[in-house]
Amino acid sequence: MIFGAAQFQVYWFVPPLVVAISLVYSASRHEAWSRIWHHAFKLCYWIIGILILTTAFLLLVNTQV
Amino acid sequence: MSEPSIPLRNPYQAAFLAWLCPGLGHFYQGRTGKGCLYAICILALYFMGFAMGEGKIVYWRWVSPLSDPEKFSVYYLGQFFVGLPALPAMIQGTLQYFDPTASILWGFMSPPDQNILNGLHRRLGKLVEVGTIYTTVAGLLNVLAIYDAYEGPAYDALDDEESATEETVEVSGLKAEGQA
Repeated sequence: MIFGAAQFQVYWFVPPLVVAISLVYSASRHEAWSRIWHHAFKLCYWIIGILILTTAFLLLVNTQV
Repeated sequence: MSEPSIPLRNPYQAAFLAWLCPGLGHFYQGRTGKGCLYAICILALYFMGFAMGEGKIVYWRWVSPLSDPEKFSVYYLGQFFVGLPALPAMIQGTLQYFDPTASILWGFMSPPDQNILNGLHRRLGKLVEVGTIYTTVAGLLNVLAIYDAYEGPAYDALDDEESATEETVEVSGLKAEGQA
């Protein structure tokens, strides 16, 4: 088994997914590398930001209920 | 949409190659850098997900989603677009549709029995879900790559205009320095 099933945090699997999505999406929008990196970085930042905010909000709601 | 300024060669052929193997269509068009980026991102995501599910999460069954939604593998609709790496599942599913005992390559990527899937979920837990998401997203990302190979980048003209403006600014700056 490559990925040990015993103990792992599912959140560690989010960054590779976000990076791949950002890079591929940006590459499909632009041809110039500087623009691809810039757009990918911005998108990565936004996706992770939204994920953190959503998780924080859901945790907050969850602890209040 | 305006005419792409980069040579796309035969867009249909490029799109087909991009489906067959992520990045291949771009290599065919001479866009090597982008081809490498697509190949690395999409194939890495796909094979990581595939390994997480121990190779049993990419499969296809020829069943109707309306009459038999339990057996219908909806994730394969996304995974299919990874191309060649996901194609054995379609071949195995088709073979088993005609003859349930038939399989090639020692049953590699053939639709697993429900008890095997249940055991996988019990043993690996969330890894199966993460693996399924990875492989499906990889396929969906390749749809973007296929479209890019067919049509070219969305903001190509805008990139050209902006880089031309930057060059003009640089040239006028140099001229001003020269005059001073």
